[in-house]
Amino acid sequence: MKFPLHGKGRSGGYARERMKLLLVSERIDCSPQMMKMLKNDMIHTVKKYISIDETQVRIRITQEPPVLHADIPVRSKRNKG
Amino acid sequence: MGEVIVITSGKGGVGKTTTVANIGTGLAMLGKKTVVVDTDIGLRNLDVVLGLENRIVYNLVDVISGSCRLKQALIKDKRHPELFLLPSAQTKDKSAVSPEQMIKLTDELREEFDYILLDCPAGIEQGFKNAVAGAERALVVTTPEVSAIRDADRIIGLLEAGGLRNIQLIVNRLRPDMIARGDMMSVDDVIEILAVDLIGTIIDDEQIVVSTNQGEPLSGKKSQAEEEYRNICRRILGEDVPFMEIREKKGMFRRLSEIFKKQ
Repeated sequence: MKFPLHGKGRSGGYARERMKLLLVSERIDCSPQMMKMLKNDMIHTVKKYISIDETQVRIRITQEPPVLHADIPVRSKRNKG
Repeated sequence: MGEVIVITSGKGGVGKTTTVANIGTGLAMLGKKTVVVDTDIGLRNLDVVLGLENRIVYNLVDVISGSCRLKQALIKDKRHPELFLLPSAQTKDKSAVSPEQMIKLTDELREEFDYILLDCPAGIEQGFKNAVAGAERALVVTTPEVSAIRDADRIIGLLEAGGLRNIQLIVNRLRPDMIARGDMMSVDDVIEILAVDLIGTIIDDEQIVVSTNQGEPLSGKKSQAEEEYRNICRRILGEDVPFMEIREKKGMFRRLSEIFKKQ
């Protein structure tokens, strides 16, 4: 995975983003690979009941206290687009 | 009753021993009776940073095993009347001491001293467990590097799991020039990542190497890093000391060239 601003003069920001991702997953004992699987399972489960835009699903964990956020855009008959 | 503070980091080589030597000296200079304890059994270091290596007779393991009295092992620093060192053993290993024995030792030191600083070994094994056992406060030392930060996070987790909640962070070896051009994480970045209170920042300063070479912490007259160590000492005493701005020191040549660039 490469961040857009990766390169000389930007390595500090790159390190910060890497560490944020890594430490969040280490603190809750959930590897990035497991997060991916969790995301897929969630999409699969929600899809059984409602129509969603799979490509726009975002999951993330915020700290202090740790909370799992899932943004799953739902397709509505009224809001096209 | 004195306060027992462990200085720890997880990763080795981030400046724990130097930090203990400088903060210990600083607290003693502020008139607080301070003892610095080298808990890294087998790898003695603190004595040489303090310039007291030639005065060791007994050590930590001798005290704990009852081979000598505590008073016999304490080395008084002649330059700072309030500073004492309890050196580590060279010949034994970390299993020579248990956490219970360390608690007993720190309780005894609390009666005598205002501040007891424990220099913790690197790693998270027996030596770490021994060092943190008797502590009521932890100063976690890190540098703005990914490896040190990851280990600091691990250490903070272990300290909290062990019931130690009074944890503060020291960010060491900051390079203002690299931060300014975006090639080093800033103090704010590190605090955000680790989500812990800051007690001080230390810039990467040649004077620290010089003082360590001479075995005389805080001997530099105009060193920013040593000023920052003194500030940490005052914060430990509970003073509200504003944080120094981390700015690049500009030499004469640099200033001149900037003036010409503007025109």
